[in-house]
Amino acid sequence: MTEDKELLREIWFAKIPVCFHLASEEIVNFQKPDPYYLMCPRITYFPLVLDKVVKYFSRFVDSSKQQGIDIWIEYEGNPVKWHYPIGLSWDLICDEASLPWNLIIHFDNFPDDELVRCNSRALVQSMFMSTIKEADALKHRSQIISAMQKKEHNQLWHGLQEEKFEQFWAVNVKLMEHTNNEPFRCIPFRFYQLNQPYIQRLFKPLSENGTPNTLGDLVRQVFPSSIEDDNEKLTVLTHGIQPPFETPIHWMSEHLSYPDNFLHLCVFPRKSCSGTNQKSS
Amino acid sequence: MATTGDVESDKSESKDTTDSPQAGKIDILLKATGDAPILKKRKWLVEGEKDIGFILNFVKHSLKMERNECLFIYINQAFAPAPDQKIKNLYSCFGSDGKLILHYSKTPAWG
Repeated sequence: MTEDKELLREIWFAKIPVCFHLASEEIVNFQKPDPYYLMCPRITYFPLVLDKVVKYFSRFVDSSKQQGIDIWIEYEGNPVKWHYPIGLSWDLICDEASLPWNLIIHFDNFPDDELVRCNSRALVQSMFMSTIKEADALKHRSQIISAMQKKEHNQLWHGLQEEKFEQFWAVNVKLMEHTNNEPFRCIPFRFYQLNQPYIQRLFKPLSENGTPNTLGDLVRQVFPSSIEDDNEKLTVLTHGIQPPFETPIHWMSEHLSYPDNFLHLCVFPRKSCSGTNQKSS
Repeated sequence: MATTGDVESDKSESKDTTDSPQAGKIDILLKATGDAPILKKRKWLVEGEKDIGFILNFVKHSLKMERNECLFIYINQAFAPAPDQKIKNLYSCFGSDGKLILHYSKTPAWG
């Protein structure tokens, strides 16, 4: 894996420029606040980067809401899921033309029916660690994560929280290693489509005859109707890039997984089905 | 609010669960762990499109717990799936013998 360390760094340090606006109906001051600009790491979660934003806007809202316990974020009328990595939300609901990402921050009127509440970092931590455990259940039948010490679990979390690449990967490399040269048992992945629940299935890194399965094999298994006359009808986006369909899925799992150890793959209809591969050219 | 009307009691508790599952529905087995009370009926048929949040509310309702009381659900006695995770996804990755086993606890049990 060491030869690809530069790639892991690129993924880790990728950021999205975000412009936060305070919801206008929640402003109690006469003065309207200026927007707040922030470079948000793709791999992290909104509750981990919002402290300064909340502090800045809090003096413009009702005093009972200033602590920010009902904080939520809106994009074009819809709540943004705090428990999705920021890069995943961006890839799924935005397009490059709309930078910076204009988001509205709310201190009130939490949409309980649409969004899970997040009022503490501890909740983000338990969600994050649970997702890593789920990924290891798929990869190694939970053997690696359950053999780790509490100290190492904390190192994964603090590495993410403080955006420390070396600290995180010093432990994460164990979760990405092949035990006894065996490939992962299954690949932890989730497919996302706009306004639909995500899809998660069992998928092995090798085919029955031992050849490496590719991203294309995975897409064809989960979306069997996605191929017509040899033309792929779908395109896959993760970390802002469209990996070629011939990329081995095991390599993707090791290098393009988010810190929670899952591949978060956004699926879109390919814009042209005329046979020319316009988007990935 | 979860109501028992959304979940079907699986009357074939003692029978093999693999025969004729209803379309789109998944057998789940709810096992108490720690100090959580045991449900009278542990086996239920649930639509695959339902999520863990729905099961949490359903168990709370069945145990006459308040909605804001803590309840945790675990898979494989290893991890707690997110509230928006679909039963269908979990069954296809972690189901065995035609059913999905969910442990519930009132206190954090496995991480």
